[in-house]
Amino acid sequence: MTSTSNPKVPEKKDQVHRVLLGKKQILVTEDEPLLVQLERAGIHVEYQCREGYCSSCSIKLLWGNVIYPFEPLAWVQSGYLLACCAIVKSDIEIAFFD
Amino acid sequence: MSYSTFNRKHFDSTKEPMFFGENVNVARYDQQKHPIFEKLIEKQLSFFWRPEEVDLSTDRKDFQRLEEHEQHIFLSNLKYQTLLDSVQGRSPNVALLPIVSLPELETWIETWSFSETIHSRSYTHIIRNIVNDPTKIFDDIVTNEEITKRADSVSIYYDRLIEMVNLYNTMGMGTFEVPGKGPIEISMPKLKKALYLTIASVNVLEAIRFYVSFACSFAFAERTLMEGNAKIIKLIARDEALHLTGTQHMLNLMASGKDDPEMAIIAAECQDEVRQIFIEAAEQEKEWATYLFKDGSMIGLNAQILGQYVEYITNVRMQAVGLDTCFATKHNPIPWINAWLVSDNVQVAPQEAEISSYLVGQTDNSLDDSDFDDFDL
Repeated sequence: MTSTSNPKVPEKKDQVHRVLLGKKQILVTEDEPLLVQLERAGIHVEYQCREGYCSSCSIKLLWGNVIYPFEPLAWVQSGYLLACCAIVKSDIEIAFFD
Repeated sequence: MSYSTFNRKHFDSTKEPMFFGENVNVARYDQQKHPIFEKLIEKQLSFFWRPEEVDLSTDRKDFQRLEEHEQHIFLSNLKYQTLLDSVQGRSPNVALLPIVSLPELETWIETWSFSETIHSRSYTHIIRNIVNDPTKIFDDIVTNEEITKRADSVSIYYDRLIEMVNLYNTMGMGTFEVPGKGPIEISMPKLKKALYLTIASVNVLEAIRFYVSFACSFAFAERTLMEGNAKIIKLIARDEALHLTGTQHMLNLMASGKDDPEMAIIAAECQDEVRQIFIEAAEQEKEWATYLFKDGSMIGLNAQILGQYVEYITNVRMQAVGLDTCFATKHNPIPWINAWLVSDNVQVAPQEAEISSYLVGQTDNSLDDSDFDDFDL
């Protein structure tokens, strides 16, 4: 129901992936969850608990893989990711509200 | 079917639906159909706090210095929150415990409701500290028209479900003439529909209705006013976010059909009605914002901005339960609120018990001699 992890992706921490958001492109690593890296890139993401139980930071995942080191308490809708605890594992494309 | 506090039947509770299956008998958690509810219990227990921990002596001085229309904003919000938590401190127990069928969910309902009673006690703590006569404030909750209007909306689904379950437990299925109410039809689909709409309306209560008050409390605190109150509201907001997750899980499990296939059909049928519950609540909250600011705004916040925030947060919450969003506002007009809503940014030392991830008894018992290899005496 939640993560889409790809076993073929090598477990290398310093791997850099592209996050596409509309016309923007942000580079992220696997060292930290997506939320903090988006914030550092100046993108405002709604948040509240920052530990996976409130689902405020739920963002559309159009394609690509993310994993959760800990299963979040919040329900993650299919096609969405929880930015506060998702680790990006491939290039991905995300979107806010339509 | 009548309710039994200890069902004597032998059955496998992991095969029961969340609601309207067998009454729970043994409160056992070694096998669970939906382990998420025990995780929520653990999280809620790790959040435990007492209102008296928060010192409100400065708030009293602050309150006396507020302008009259600001006192109106502050007190009205407290009254409204008192109403909401009065309902929430009892209703999940009264409405849901007689029909729940999973031990982990039963205990989550009790844990959830208990935490709402802490919120209610904290409002008394605040009111006692800032005014000389709390009675005036509490009495107004049942007479103030703006508040009673909302009381109807938050209690109507609970009340209907409770009434129907009472009939079901005493009379069984059929159509019954209830004095003053006319005929009421009791069937499993009708009961399940009443349940689904109740959970949806509770989800809305916790997802949207609290947030206008939260925004005002934090707007005062941004001006370094009523900071003790803001600290309490922060703790309440943390609990509410977790309760919200609880009802989101219930709604999504029901709609997915994974828990009870019949419930998935009912959820699909109710989709428009649930959307309407969200929209009605958002409109009521916007009206509430207008009432709050009728005699004047406060720095950083006015009825229009609050209205946009209500629309924004309604979109976020609708999306979380798989509904299409319905308002044009796509951006948070008061992004500073998130810094107040985040619960873990105040304390730095783990012995300060409000760190939500701090659990009592987290000691490591698995020591052996090799752990002391690095030690030289």
